[in-house]
Amino acid sequence: MNSRQILIRDVLVLLAFAGWALALPHYASEFVTSMALTCLMYVALSSSWGLFCGSTRYLSLATSAFFGIGAYTTAILLGQFGWVETIAIGAGIAVVVAIVMGAAVLHLRGTYFAVLTFGMTELILHAVTYFEKSVTGTVGRVLTVVPENQVIYLTVLALAVLAVAVSIWVRRTRFGLALMGIGADEQRAQTLGVNTRLVKIAGFALTAAFAGAVGAAMAVRWTYIDPHTVFNPFIGFQTVLITLIGGVLTLWGPLLAAIIFSVLAESLRLQFPQIYLMSLGLLLILCVLYLPGGLASLRWATFKSWWNDTRDWAKDLKRELSGEKEREKQRAKRREKESHFV
Amino acid sequence: MSEQATPLLEAHNVTVRFGGLVAVDAVSANFTPGELVGIIGPNGAGKTTFFNAISGVLAPTSGRLAAHGRDLTGRGPHRFAAHGVARTFQTPRVFADMPVAANIEFGLKFAGKRRRKYLFWGDEVDVPWALRDATSILALIGLSEQAALPAAAITPSQQRLLEIGMALATRPKLLLLDEVAAGLTEAEVEEMARLIRRLRDELDLTVIWIEHAVTTLLRHVERVIVLHQGRKIADDTPHNVVRNPEVIEAYLGDEMAEPGSEPQDEEVAA
Repeated sequence: MNSRQILIRDVLVLLAFAGWALALPHYASEFVTSMALTCLMYVALSSSWGLFCGSTRYLSLATSAFFGIGAYTTAILLGQFGWVETIAIGAGIAVVVAIVMGAAVLHLRGTYFAVLTFGMTELILHAVTYFEKSVTGTVGRVLTVVPENQVIYLTVLALAVLAVAVSIWVRRTRFGLALMGIGADEQRAQTLGVNTRLVKIAGFALTAAFAGAVGAAMAVRWTYIDPHTVFNPFIGFQTVLITLIGGVLTLWGPLLAAIIFSVLAESLRLQFPQIYLMSLGLLLILCVLYLPGGLASLRWATFKSWWNDTRDWAKDLKRELSGEKEREKQRAKRREKESHFV
Repeated sequence: MSEQATPLLEAHNVTVRFGGLVAVDAVSANFTPGELVGIIGPNGAGKTTFFNAISGVLAPTSGRLAAHGRDLTGRGPHRFAAHGVARTFQTPRVFADMPVAANIEFGLKFAGKRRRKYLFWGDEVDVPWALRDATSILALIGLSEQAALPAAAITPSQQRLLEIGMALATRPKLLLLDEVAAGLTEAEVEEMARLIRRLRDELDLTVIWIEHAVTTLLRHVERVIVLHQGRKIADDTPHNVVRNPEVIEAYLGDEMAEPGSEPQDEEVAA
């Protein structure tokens, strides 16, 4: 397939998913719709996370910070501004924070970057908590003006579609190529003319914009928010997990994994909360060990090579258990001894 | 030093310090258009560090760098690349997962990008014919057949060529080559030297070439800079450098200085 055909295929798949999600509330139950909402939220979060962190290999744990910033924007501003404006402002504030944060920590790599983004998330969480306690004198905020459920659903759906569309588009631009180059060899990309600092900050801000917007849209679902619910680091971790399980470099990986994850979450969380977390961890370990490209990199050949590996392993085991391996060793030893006599 | 043209790259008292260690000690050098300059020196003389400084990878501790008379001290490598300074790395650093042709296109899309004839379409202007697109650059370095292979799948010596191709894709005026002939066979080294001369002659590039194989280098360059313990101890033609007592003592050893043992160097001096 040439690149135009790939583009058409991707856009069609995206439209099909969007249509399906659009139709869902009309025939499915309340429960399924709320599950779909969680799913769409994670599609938006993890697609936009993979857009920057996947191609550049900068593991950011700051998603929950931007999410929380968006949620608090809604909590404070929703009465005075319209729904769309509030979300835009939430995204805007997240972008500003991301630019400041990015300028401070984006020259670090690997673990240092991950730990520092996590630390900054905690910093923001405690700063907001302190501010709320000492200045406004509250622990949390109650959202009184709340839009209808349908509006929330459509907004999050739009954000999810936008996140995937932006991923499709960025992959085809110079900006996306620059991100790939940074991931492959940052210094080499620099010497070939990429202003890596600017590109990284822009990518980080783009990720933050989506996280902020999703946070702003999802805040109204809770009706009561406090810093520990919306700055919950678990949101950031889950985004990372979903993207890793789905495949950081793939377009559809985050979407697939988000669907699997939400189904798992909703069906297991109520009955067996421990099993849910365990299965998530198990899935991650299996993916890292046997499927580093993520679920979306599964091909027929992958199954074939797994089957071959298993067969070889079983053959080896059989030889060992039947004593054939031991006998072979002895034969080799005897041959060696005989060759010494000659 | 040469007075005939404005220097392409000026390094003025460039010093690089790592903690207490002075890796490059107040080195000044000018590079004029069309020169083929070699840099030699024993291990740890600061050759690669000097390269890192003049390509912007490492900001000098003190000193001044300018390209086309414009001050670039302390700027990032992408600024140097935009001003026509391209470099290769000692160990090939190609984008292993991308195809060979995509590796070349990377440079063409960033530092090598030029204005188009009619705003958004038409050919790019001010581009040497041999560097017009990825295909022509691959033909120039001789990797046309490997264009579709991933860069990880080609041989190390081909990766070195690809490194040069990636640097050429930025459409440079100055090419910095860091030990491009290391680990190559005798024949491949000659091939590489011929390619480098061709780049200089056909594309009017200034080439600065670091090499460990001194005899090969001296045979092909027109000017040699000798670094020793971070300092520049000589900057002259190969003919004079091999007779320079300080250089002989520091690096070359006696056998190089004997008149009979350097027949190659006569033709350069002539």
